[in-house]
Amino acid sequence: MKKDIRFVRNIGISAHIDSGKTTLTERILFYTQRIHAMHDVKGKDGVGAFMDSMELERERGITIASAATFCEWKAHEINIIDTPGHVDFTIEVERSLRVLDGAILVLCAVGGVQSQSITVDQQMRRYRVPCLAFVNKLDRSGANPQRVLDQLRERLGHTPVPLQLPIGLEADFQGVVDLIRMKALYFDGDKGQTVRVEEIPAGLLEEARARREALIDAASLFSDELTETILEERPVSEEMLFSALRRGTLERRITPVLFGSAYKNKGVQPLLDAVCALLPCPEDVVNEALDMDRGEAPVRLSSHPDEPLVALAFKLEDRSYGQLTYVRVYQGTLAKGDTVVNVRTGRKIKIGRVVRMHSDQMEEIDAIPAGYIGALFGIECASGDTFVSPGLSLTMTSMFVPTPVISLAISPRNHKSEIGLSKALNRFTKEDPTFRTHTNPETGETIISGMGELHLEVYVERIQREYGAEVTVGAPRVAYRETITQRAEFDYLHKKQTGGSGQYGRVAGWLEPLAEGDFEFENQVVGGAIPTAFIPACEKGFRECLAKGPKMEFPVTGVRVVVNDGASHPVDSSDLAFQQAARGAFLQAYFKAKPVIQEPIMKVVVETPTGFQGAVMGSLNQRRGMIVGSQDEGNFCVIEAQVPLAEMFGYSTVLRSLTQGQAQFTMEFLAYRQVPQAIAEELEKKAAAQKKNVA
Amino acid sequence: MLKRELILRNPVQSLAGESESILRAGHFGGILARAGVGKTALIVQIALHAMLNGRNVLHVSLNQPVTRTNLWYREIFGDIARQMRIERAEALWEEILPHRFIMTFRTEGFSVPKLEERLTDLIEQKIFLPRLLIIDGLSFDEPQREALAGLKHYARLNELGVWFSIRTHRHEEPGPGGLPRQLLDVEDLFEVALSLVPAGEEIHVNVLKGITLPPEHAHLALDPATMLVKSRIP
Repeated sequence: MKKDIRFVRNIGISAHIDSGKTTLTERILFYTQRIHAMHDVKGKDGVGAFMDSMELERERGITIASAATFCEWKAHEINIIDTPGHVDFTIEVERSLRVLDGAILVLCAVGGVQSQSITVDQQMRRYRVPCLAFVNKLDRSGANPQRVLDQLRERLGHTPVPLQLPIGLEADFQGVVDLIRMKALYFDGDKGQTVRVEEIPAGLLEEARARREALIDAASLFSDELTETILEERPVSEEMLFSALRRGTLERRITPVLFGSAYKNKGVQPLLDAVCALLPCPEDVVNEALDMDRGEAPVRLSSHPDEPLVALAFKLEDRSYGQLTYVRVYQGTLAKGDTVVNVRTGRKIKIGRVVRMHSDQMEEIDAIPAGYIGALFGIECASGDTFVSPGLSLTMTSMFVPTPVISLAISPRNHKSEIGLSKALNRFTKEDPTFRTHTNPETGETIISGMGELHLEVYVERIQREYGAEVTVGAPRVAYRETITQRAEFDYLHKKQTGGSGQYGRVAGWLEPLAEGDFEFENQVVGGAIPTAFIPACEKGFRECLAKGPKMEFPVTGVRVVVNDGASHPVDSSDLAFQQAARGAFLQAYFKAKPVIQEPIMKVVVETPTGFQGAVMGSLNQRRGMIVGSQDEGNFCVIEAQVPLAEMFGYSTVLRSLTQGQAQFTMEFLAYRQVPQAIAEELEKKAAAQKKNVA
Repeated sequence: MLKRELILRNPVQSLAGESESILRAGHFGGILARAGVGKTALIVQIALHAMLNGRNVLHVSLNQPVTRTNLWYREIFGDIARQMRIERAEALWEEILPHRFIMTFRTEGFSVPKLEERLTDLIEQKIFLPRLLIIDGLSFDEPQREALAGLKHYARLNELGVWFSIRTHRHEEPGPGGLPRQLLDVEDLFEVALSLVPAGEEIHVNVLKGITLPPEHAHLALDPATMLVKSRIP
């Protein structure tokens, strides 16, 4: 393991599904001699690309779980996280970005910047991850690198700076001109392993000169030395240019762009050079932890290996020999035999085996120093936990976790499957914070919830394949909510004074809609009408009513409760009596406050060839969708709509058949909005029928 | 009630006089100004006025993505709501949003027949039935007469009012009658024309043709801070 942190790169490869990132990773691993054969994503050879280590991923041709791996290139050690491409799995992408220092944004030269690229880019912006862009598939018919550059600028707001100029396009794509060294690069050998450096073809020389000028111009913004050199008309050195470009990249003010075709083994080695030259080392990135002893005040971490340890568990995997925990060490060193503390649980842990991962193969190591990514064996923890040296009380910033919007009932078919299901759920909920599970107390059913239909589908398949559990699943259910729309007053007396110990409590006040947040309780009682000791009981009583709304039994949100009067009895008042009084008061006012049902509305973005625009819009319209707009992009157009989640089940199949498989869509949660009257009535009918069935 | 108040108190209403809409079906309106003076801000206020009146607006933007166009609407609506101290502005925004559809094109990919084709798609499938069409960013520097005459015919058939933002140039002298050069060739197609002229710290909204302002709002301007229409003292 290298000791010089300046030669370490922790990078992610993020992109739209099908833009070729898994193939690119495969080629990187081949050229860095981590693997000795190449396979395709949907391989004819039945092996599949190396990074897609899960059987299901291979079958579907998508990457679901980010496998971490490392490789070496020209004295640099590169840790790569292969990130998933579908929007339903963005928690995986977000987690990867949290632990990475830089990223390669892979874009398809034919498809360009698509909606998933926009989502991924937003995430990179949130975590301020510097990136390089790799425009892939230049060999494909319809490849248009200039359009991708325009889209990078217009759709993502980047300042793209091409470092290369493609030589030929589509079937004629031969190689690239390196605009920094002003040489033509060709990729020889049956696997493109030999980089042949030649003079620039005469036909491209003029354009290459002009592009180099533009490159130097863009870089000069970040280096006074370079500006002076240009003004004095001295030759610009490679080092000077790289140093200026690096500064711009680290500040996220420019995005260097490289070109190639990973599938045809072209342009991958220069990309690796650019990763080493332009992306940050762990020392370049400022990482902060929160000090739990000082009200979560931020503390800057040092990347020195001799400091006390701070490490983050960012991914868990269940292997046949126990749980594998991927960690990134931010400060200090995590070594075999060390005793560390899990900040969340406060428990001490002894570190056993420490390994370095290479997709699903591993290499034993002694320690993981600051700035590195590795994995631990036999550690009981959840994803997102922080490990520190004893005595420290730091935690890494909590990650943004969205609330699940869809759920379904799942039940095992036999006893053996019950055990498998329980194990699987236990593991998946630990691994993925957006995947949750609970038991419905009335029906006794196990309910799983997540971020979308595909998200749950993949987990159901994994439960069946990896744990051999035979399960039956119910129809997906949308997470509806109830809320109130107007203020309503209550004055409720709970009195039970006949026989045994009595109960007495009166609460008065009002409910009103709360614009932001789920629940707020305000005590405006003066003069001790309700003794202060019973106020928390009142709040508890109201809070307990929220779990199941009186209207349709959906959770109630957006309610503010103000209590301003009440009465108590010196002997018969108790916590329990005031809790009951609060429940009664809530029920008394709830229907007066005109409750309504709300449903999750998704932001749906469809990219379709222009010819199918009308059909796609029609399909969204049929689904109660409100079309926000359509953007014409030449051959294809992007339609943005807001559609209720309840109407989106099975939409991928519908879209595929409508557009001969040429359109794709992404979907993310936007907001909760009121359900139209007709739909609310339908829901009420369904709920009533269900109740009857249960009874 | 809230909506009514917002419509009546909004100075944009003065452009409409007694009626609900500023432009009648089949009519063309132009907002002429140099770059950066506030054409889009005014055209968005006109669109919001129509949306508040329950009329569907199709906003066609050339070279501005949907998100940026949407941002114009959000900001202008937010400013109006703040200025008029509208409570529950968010609920009102959600109520009027279904009355708007944004369609964006790249300038080089735009043509009137293409727009007509898309519009027919929307109308025939009953996805969106626009009453007002806004075309922001079409260049009037090149001859447009034939295309505009075609669109006029289409607008009449489908009972659409159409507003255009028309970019003029500082260095060009106005033509006869004080009309900017961009309008000379197509003046007969336009029933209404407004111009925005920077004057000191204000931007005056001048009526070139087609509208008689009521005496209490005889002089209008754009507030340079919010770009909202207001009455000014002459």
